[in-house]
Amino acid sequence: MTQFLENFLQALVAGLLTGSIYGLMCVGLSVIFGVMRVINFAHGDFMMLGMYVAYYCFGLLGVQAVFGASAGPYIAALIAGPVIFLAGVLAHRLLISRVTGMRGSALQSEGHYAQLILTLGVALVLQNGGLYVFGSTPVSIATPLASNAWSVGPLYGDRIEVFVNQGQTISAVIAIVVVLAFVALMNRSRLGKSLRAAADNPEAATYMGIDVARAHRLAFGFGVAITAIGGGLLASGISFQPYVGLEYVIVMYAGVVLGGLGSVSGAFLGGLTIGLVQQLSTLFLPNQLQNTAIFVVFLFVVLLRPQGLFGTALRRT
Amino acid sequence: MRRQFLMIAAFALVYGLIAVFVEHSYYLLILAVVPVWAVMGLAWNLLSGYSGFVSFGHAAFFGLGAYFVALAQIRWGLSPWIGIPCAAVVGAAAGLVVGIPTFRLRGHYFALAMLAYPLALLYVFEWLGYQELALPMQREQGFAYMQFEDHRIYVWLALALMVIAMVITSLVERSRFGMSLLAIREDEAAAEAAGIRTLAWKLKAITLSGALAGAAGGFYAVVLLVVTPPAVFGMLVSAQALIVAMFGGVGTLWGPVIGAIVLVPLSEVLHAQLGNVIPGIQGVVYGVAIVAVILLAPEGVFWKVKDVLQQRRTRAAPAPVHVTAAISAPPPRAASAGAAIVFEVRNASKAFGGLKAVRDVSLQVRQGEILGIIGPNGAGKTTLFNLLNGFIRPDQGSILLQGDDVIGRRPYQLCAAGVGRTFQVVRPFRRMSVLDNVVVGAFVRTSSDAQAREVAQEALAQVGLSEQADQLAGTLTNKQLRLLEIARALAGKPKLLLLDETLAGLGATEVEEVIAAVRKLAAQGITIVIIEHTMQAMVRLVDRFVVLNEGALLAEGLPQAITRDNAVIDAYLGKRWRTANA
Amino acid sequence: MLEIAGLNAGYGMVPVLNDVSLRVGTGEFAAIVGPNGAGKTTLFKTISGIVKPTAGGIRFDGKDLLAIAPAARAHLGIAHVPEGRQVFPSLTVQENIEMGAYTEAGRRAWKENLEKIHAWFPVLAQRAKALAGALSGGQQQMLAIARGLASSPKLLMLDEPSMGLAPSTADEIFERIVAIHESSGLTVLLVEQRVAEALHFADRGYVLEAGRVVLEGSHDELKSNDRVRQAYLGM
Repeated sequence: MTQFLENFLQALVAGLLTGSIYGLMCVGLSVIFGVMRVINFAHGDFMMLGMYVAYYCFGLLGVQAVFGASAGPYIAALIAGPVIFLAGVLAHRLLISRVTGMRGSALQSEGHYAQLILTLGVALVLQNGGLYVFGSTPVSIATPLASNAWSVGPLYGDRIEVFVNQGQTISAVIAIVVVLAFVALMNRSRLGKSLRAAADNPEAATYMGIDVARAHRLAFGFGVAITAIGGGLLASGISFQPYVGLEYVIVMYAGVVLGGLGSVSGAFLGGLTIGLVQQLSTLFLPNQLQNTAIFVVFLFVVLLRPQGLFGTALRRT
Repeated sequence: MRRQFLMIAAFALVYGLIAVFVEHSYYLLILAVVPVWAVMGLAWNLLSGYSGFVSFGHAAFFGLGAYFVALAQIRWGLSPWIGIPCAAVVGAAAGLVVGIPTFRLRGHYFALAMLAYPLALLYVFEWLGYQELALPMQREQGFAYMQFEDHRIYVWLALALMVIAMVITSLVERSRFGMSLLAIREDEAAAEAAGIRTLAWKLKAITLSGALAGAAGGFYAVVLLVVTPPAVFGMLVSAQALIVAMFGGVGTLWGPVIGAIVLVPLSEVLHAQLGNVIPGIQGVVYGVAIVAVILLAPEGVFWKVKDVLQQRRTRAAPAPVHVTAAISAPPPRAASAGAAIVFEVRNASKAFGGLKAVRDVSLQVRQGEILGIIGPNGAGKTTLFNLLNGFIRPDQGSILLQGDDVIGRRPYQLCAAGVGRTFQVVRPFRRMSVLDNVVVGAFVRTSSDAQAREVAQEALAQVGLSEQADQLAGTLTNKQLRLLEIARALAGKPKLLLLDETLAGLGATEVEEVIAAVRKLAAQGITIVIIEHTMQAMVRLVDRFVVLNEGALLAEGLPQAITRDNAVIDAYLGKRWRTANA
Repeated sequence: MLEIAGLNAGYGMVPVLNDVSLRVGTGEFAAIVGPNGAGKTTLFKTISGIVKPTAGGIRFDGKDLLAIAPAARAHLGIAHVPEGRQVFPSLTVQENIEMGAYTEAGRRAWKENLEKIHAWFPVLAQRAKALAGALSGGQQQMLAIARGLASSPKLLMLDEPSMGLAPSTADEIFERIVAIHESSGLTVLLVEQRVAEALHFADRGYVLEAGRVVLEGSHDELKSNDRVRQAYLGM
């Protein structure tokens, strides 16, 4: 019993920590859906790009040399944000803007799926192009913090001791700070408000003088950048290769749907929940079925409560 | 139909002959794999292409088929000759199991949910320890286990499978099955209102689609001899099914075949030639192909070519002769006051959030009359219609059709019971011909497709659109679209016809033409309820008026009385009008 | 100020507007009336750039509007208060008005504009922090007008401000519009189905039917309103 309790607490901690990073990644995806009503299938692959940007910044570009092996990975992860922001803006301008927004609506029923399928194409190019550019050997950012842990306890007599991974904790804190900063940007700044206006009603936003295409471009940039930071944070904990996005894209979708499509705070909670489900499922299920547990939860939520666990029904149809 | 089959046969013959002259086993493998992906494309197309419900999860059916064939041979020594048909059954069952819950979702949610199925299965099969299943070699009795020295036989078998898939597709395409799916894709609500049992057709489609994908997966296992979860449940499998269909042309017989013939060899050859230098070239080619197709020809090569040809043909065709139906004096209308009540609404209310769209409305429609429902914009007229034909349920009240309470019945059931309707914003199936649009409406009353065609022709003749029968619905004028919608509703042989702002946006002479058409229908004994925004023209059309304002009944009565009703004038023109003109 | 000549426009293959010409002078109150589906909203959308015309021209303040991107037109001083209000439901009342002031001119005059808006529509001050989606229909209409006014426009385009409102609320909205026009001298172009009010207050009126202007004239000319009466009541 105490053994189970210890395992449970350990899984709970691990779930909250990874969940925070998942939450950050989900926020990125949710921004894109919230503003553009686009489902971005390539989102996991932009995350993968973020991981590699962090990886190369850390190693080749000297972030490690300047900031050391402990702080370096986090600096590198944060650098991935702006770099992927530019990549996202570019991808939107060149490709995605052609099938979405005001222009997309003119394509009638066919246009509805065009963006889904287009981003699927982008995903394939990024994954497989990544294979060529980055190689297929798994890599990871080495930080001593990843293998250090604070121990909490002994609790409950002295029978329970819970370890809190230092690297993951710092990542989780950074993730939460980035989410809070972004929420503040969306709620307080003129730019954020104009993005929300464009999301609510693109036509009326145009009447206000808001350039909706630009709003979409920025939202896409912000979305992939936020997720790239999440990926960068993850990159010091796991080893990854160019196909890593696939594993996480479903995690992200599950989180976003759980939180209610389009809601930023809901997406964070959704990601957190997914982290918890994933880690807690290890108490009952073999490791390989972690992801299956996520899919099952995801399917149940989609089928039974499409507006999300935390969301209310979408106002816009 | 016959020509179609001949073309399929000719194509298969040529393809089969090519294999005869190929020696290299690698090229033979490619020749065998092309039809497999064509079948996958056809399977995807059968569901997503025709019905518009995009699936990102066809790998689930494919993988289950592949694993079934492999495991059945390993565990029970079952030959693929039996295993592949069984794999089709497995795929069909999986399709049904997936479809029942997932069709509750629409659009994005459907696509996302479909994505989760194969990926969940992928991990389950890894966990089960089936990381790599090899089909046992059966040198002694190769034929019995579908293992051949001569690899050409695989090509021919693959071809046979593809021919089966193509024949099934073309049979579906030409029948009410395919037409119903197309109607669902174009506009699911309008299809349902025209009497199409949308859920039933979608389930049939995903079942059949799953069967084809399962068979393709089973055969794939036989050809490659090794089955791994990523190879059969992976994202690339679902993507490839979608891509070959998208590339060639969605919702066509030849699209997936064209797509597979172009893309599969291209990526295979590139992979073989450059795979060492540029790993992942295969995926990049597919990715670029998708991006290019979406940007340049979002409907696929087939449609693009067809559209270009069509445009040329229309441009070359002589301008259509405009025949205006002679407007005859309206026949005297029989007084309907004593006639039986066909339709009755009792105290119906409906609120959306805080907005009370319909409040406590009661009205009766008598056999053979033309009832006009008028009211300013936002008065709740269309909501009332949506209640009448089953799109939405009232919060309170009852709706009686010939005495039976019909609340809770689906639109297609009400259509079958004799309620036809049109829409305020015209909702034709734009990519279908005018005749096909109406044929869809006729299914509900006919058992054979030929009969449906006949009924549709009659309905078109009734509204005077016979000459436009072969045109695409998207090319009609506003007035013709209104008439088309009436014809589509008429084809269901309604007792009661609900017309939603049929006169909106028409010019004065066009209004007269449509009024004449509607009167003709009434003269045949069809009861008509028509919504309009203004009273103009309506005064000459209807027998009786019901006026709605802010969701509630404002006035009811004969046209002459209504136009003098002060409450009505206030609602329409404002109090100022009455005071200024008093 | 606004000059439209020979305008044709439509959606896809369905033409909606047919050779529409009209002009609105500076400080004028012009009204467009006509039955549903006549193309009134399409006309507004074409002026705002959401619908592309197939022929004809639009000049605003001497500039060729068609050469200017839709989102840039608001910055020239055109405020479009759309049909069905279309407030931003998940933004607060205050944020909605801020979005109205997205234009340069609106930002500069933010304080004065907000004061005026709150004077005209006190309820918007009281409910500043409420989500716009939670307002009643009438309040949303006021917010939509306020949002337009916050941009410091030269031309205020109102698309059916009385739609779906109770008659008393509609009367109230109308009175405000007239008060705003009279106190600020703002140029107003109104689309309305409440023909009497619209034509009563307007300096100039246009009757649009099936995409064509079938009747136009000054306030007085339209007073002899048999044709209007016939068009609306079929009498």
